Amino acid sequence: MKLGQEDGTANYEYVTARVRSRRSSLFDESDYRKLVRMGPSEIARFMEESEYEREMNALGTRFSGVDLIEYALNENLVKHFDDVLDWAEGELYDYIARYLRKFDAWNVKTVIRGIYSGATSTEIDDDLIEAGELSDELLGRLVESNSIENVIELLSGTLFGDALEDAYELYEAEGILVPLENAVDRAYYANLQSNLPRNPNRAEKLYIEFVQAEVDFRNLRNALRIARSGADIDPVEFYIEGGRLFDEDELRQLANNPEELVARVRDSTYGDELDEALTELDGAQNLIGFEHALDAALLEYSHTLSNRYPLSVCPVLAYVLAKEREVDNIRAIARGREAGLSPEEIETELVTV
Amino acid sequence: MFEIATTLFSSIAPLLQSGSDAASSSPALTASGAAALSVGLAALAAGYAERGIGSAAVGAMAEDDSLFGRGLILTVLPETLVIFALVVVFVV
Repeated sequence: MKLGQEDGTANYEYVTARVRSRRSSLFDESDYRKLVRMGPSEIARFMEESEYEREMNALGTRFSGVDLIEYALNENLVKHFDDVLDWAEGELYDYIARYLRKFDAWNVKTVIRGIYSGATSTEIDDDLIEAGELSDELLGRLVESNSIENVIELLSGTLFGDALEDAYELYEAEGILVPLENAVDRAYYANLQSNLPRNPNRAEKLYIEFVQAEVDFRNLRNALRIARSGADIDPVEFYIEGGRLFDEDELRQLANNPEELVARVRDSTYGDELDEALTELDGAQNLIGFEHALDAALLEYSHTLSNRYPLSVCPVLAYVLAKEREVDNIRAIARGREAGLSPEEIETELVTV
Repeated sequence: MFEIATTLFSSIAPLLQSGSDAASSSPALTASGAAALSVGLAALAAGYAERGIGSAAVGAMAEDDSLFGRGLILTVLPETLVIFALVVVFVV
């Protein structure tokens, strides 16, 4: 995709105003406090009286219980992100559309995993989130295809095509999905950072900064996971290019040495945002806590960027992140309650800012 | 672009010259003409300022109807620029 393909100039004012309003209507901490004390059916009723009313009613005949909550959440997510794309024009549209291709990557991975694990096509179809750019028709054909080879063939024209074809040989040789999934992620992040203008203006610089932060956080998370698990995995296999925190060689060295890795992050530009998370990692020796803190830090960083530069793509991307978090949080609550976890346990799983 | 401007100017200049010859003391741009121009420029600037505010206000209103009054007020605030410029007309 090339910049400026879409007609018109970017209408930052309009989109930002609407997105901010939507953001402020997301569930806040007091809502979550209420939710963690409810059972699944109460959560469903709570959602029927909120933002999710339409989806809950529409899907109520097909699903029930926690499944209903989960599909209503996905459906609502898709609606909001489609709205954002509807409003945006010009370069703003390009940036948002690129970012939302994250859901294409998600869908492709879901299809591949589904086929690999032998799920039926309706099962896979239910788990897709149709907020990306892949057409419904293509998604339908992907779901119907019965082998991974077919999926890759169908995707050959899309941005995932080349990467997947390259990774397929590796998959055939080793029989594991990791190379395919990494290829999808890499293709997504490469697309995010491709065709950027050579002399970016203020708004474009902020977009780049935001994407770099996301790539950095992802690399950091992978590096820490590898370091912690102690498994003999080459961290470079999971490395995504385009961040500014570390390059491949540095990552390889740092992944074997968690302390140095943490020290490195503390000195970086993200030091302030991640300070709390890093302390948590030192104190609790708890990777899950750190990952949640990392999510919260990214959310906060996006928040800071969007407050500092209101007329840029940042408020929109911050909203996308916050909405995704909300969906993840409610899902965690509903699934947690279903499994009989206590409110305190569930609260540690939530990421709020 | 530049050539057009110079030809235009060189074709108009003699006219202005001859005009000033006829009524020897009146300048090309009179005081009231300049005042009118300033009001026009101020109106243009106000319009440009309202463009951004207006689109943000409409966006906010689309999400929440109760913001109509506030949005309207914020949108017309740059209109004060034109009022200030209008003062010039009375001063001249």
